[in-house]
Amino acid sequence: MLMGIFGSVVYKVDPLDIAGSPEHPPSDRFPLGTDSWGRDLLALLLTGTKSSISIGVTAALIALAVGIVIGVISGFKGGLTDSLLMMLTDVVLVLPSILIMMLIAAYLRERNPLFVSLIIGVTSWPWVARAMRSQMLSLKAREFVHMSRMAGLSDVKIILEDLLPNMASYTFMAFVLLLSGAMIAEAGLSMIGLGLTRGVSLGIILYWAQILESVRRGLWWWFVPPGACLVALAASLLLLSTALDEYFSPRLKGG
Amino acid sequence: MNPFIRFLARRIGFLVITFLAFLIIIFALPRAIPGNPLAALLYQIIQQAQTNPDLVKAVHRRLMDEFGIGKPLHIQFSEFTSRLLRGDLGTSIAFYPRKVADLVFVYLPWSLGLLIPASITSWVVGNLLGALAAYKRKTAVDNALLPVFLTLSMTPYYWLAMILLYLFAVSSRIFPLSGAYSTLMIPRLSLPFILDMLHHYILPFLSIVIGAIGGWAIGMRAMVIYELGADYVSYADSLGLPDSRVLRYVFRNSMLPQITGLALNLGLILGGALITELVFARPGTGFLIFRALTTLDYPMIQGTFILLISTLLLANFIVDLVYAYIDPRIRTGYVGE
Repeated sequence: MLMGIFGSVVYKVDPLDIAGSPEHPPSDRFPLGTDSWGRDLLALLLTGTKSSISIGVTAALIALAVGIVIGVISGFKGGLTDSLLMMLTDVVLVLPSILIMMLIAAYLRERNPLFVSLIIGVTSWPWVARAMRSQMLSLKAREFVHMSRMAGLSDVKIILEDLLPNMASYTFMAFVLLLSGAMIAEAGLSMIGLGLTRGVSLGIILYWAQILESVRRGLWWWFVPPGACLVALAASLLLLSTALDEYFSPRLKGG
Repeated sequence: MNPFIRFLARRIGFLVITFLAFLIIIFALPRAIPGNPLAALLYQIIQQAQTNPDLVKAVHRRLMDEFGIGKPLHIQFSEFTSRLLRGDLGTSIAFYPRKVADLVFVYLPWSLGLLIPASITSWVVGNLLGALAAYKRKTAVDNALLPVFLTLSMTPYYWLAMILLYLFAVSSRIFPLSGAYSTLMIPRLSLPFILDMLHHYILPFLSIVIGAIGGWAIGMRAMVIYELGADYVSYADSLGLPDSRVLRYVFRNSMLPQITGLALNLGLILGGALITELVFARPGTGFLIFRALTTLDYPMIQGTFILLISTLLLANFIVDLVYAYIDPRIRTGYVGE
């Protein structure tokens, strides 16, 4: 499903702003109809999906990086460092991330994809940090870590060479979940008017559909597809992570 | 010391720290973001000076004063905090000279009136459905329910809202198109008005409930499956306890983490609910925020978020206490950490 959407971006090369007749229902020429400016909605949808995914990926990578660094340091060091970092994590976890995102976005006059990803990334890392920390704690107690330590390797080296590779599968799962969360968050930001200031994303298409009253005017081809795309993408990612979870943890597989 | 009191003290300490962190974020944002949003706003106000010079001058002075522009940072922060403690959230620009706090208190009840019943309903229904799916695991029931849960948990409420609105208010005119009550009616406590309000309430309520069920159900399903595999279940089974009794234990144990989940997810639900309000054009904080954003009404944005997030933090705290009260391990002082 993911690949299908990626691929079709190449397959249908319709320029973004070329006009047909405005608010045209789906037809042979415009498979998903047109919006109030007469833009081809299928073309918009494809570009929008692409940019939603890229914002999602960037945001997920940022959150993953922050989460891993904090979780790993916290789990590995223990003691005061651990308490302080976990305190920080708990504080960020309790603050409602979507509202904090809106608050930050509200003060930015120009929001390009990188800013939006950054905003989403810096608010969605806490659960990753917590999960990474507990992974770290259980891994740290294993024998091979003691071996490395006896061999006199430095902390950084132990983390990089012994511990992180063992967490790869888990990290990938976290990434998948973050990605779907970030795409939903992007749409939410856009809907309240805090999305990209220039460019298209799934959320932005929905936002236009919303402020131009497409629902009350019955233009279903405008607001149904972007939402459906978003849900399909996010749900398939969630499904992927559930499948991975069952694959990696034998308890659920047998159970 | 009484363990419950110790627990309480820890939670209160944490609440204070969180709140401080939040205050610092709120305070730092407009001052730290490059491009200086406040300066841009002041500039925009000065530009409009030709149309209504006196008003603009007053707004300008108010803004300079409230954000303490030109004073050292630590003084700005102490003034900011002391104003907050007095309950002063500043003056709105878009609705000048009305106070932000007054405006928010007009709109907040509408949002809470939608948010609280909807999140509780979805929580209860979602947990029951999740437990059902877990109990019927490996049957057609679970196989049918799980994909639905997964999809619903990823469906934004506002999109669901758009679809419901289209189906039930545009295509077939069962429900009204917008607002929280008919424009012809005068808001007062009379039966027709209450019925009319309920009529307007159903679609937004359903969008949030349906949209939120999936997440709860998935969580509950996983918890129950986990608990069913626990030792005490096989023990109870071997003792020959009736299934219904065992299930009750399982259900109760699985509920506990879901209570914490409720606290942590309130913010997420609120975020979605705000946008759902916009879709239905209901009065509420969603509308207020949207208006404030389009007019760059920073005092209003700041004030609304302060109130919303404080409410959430407090709700979180209360749920924590309820949790501690229900969980016998905390109540009687067995703390595993």
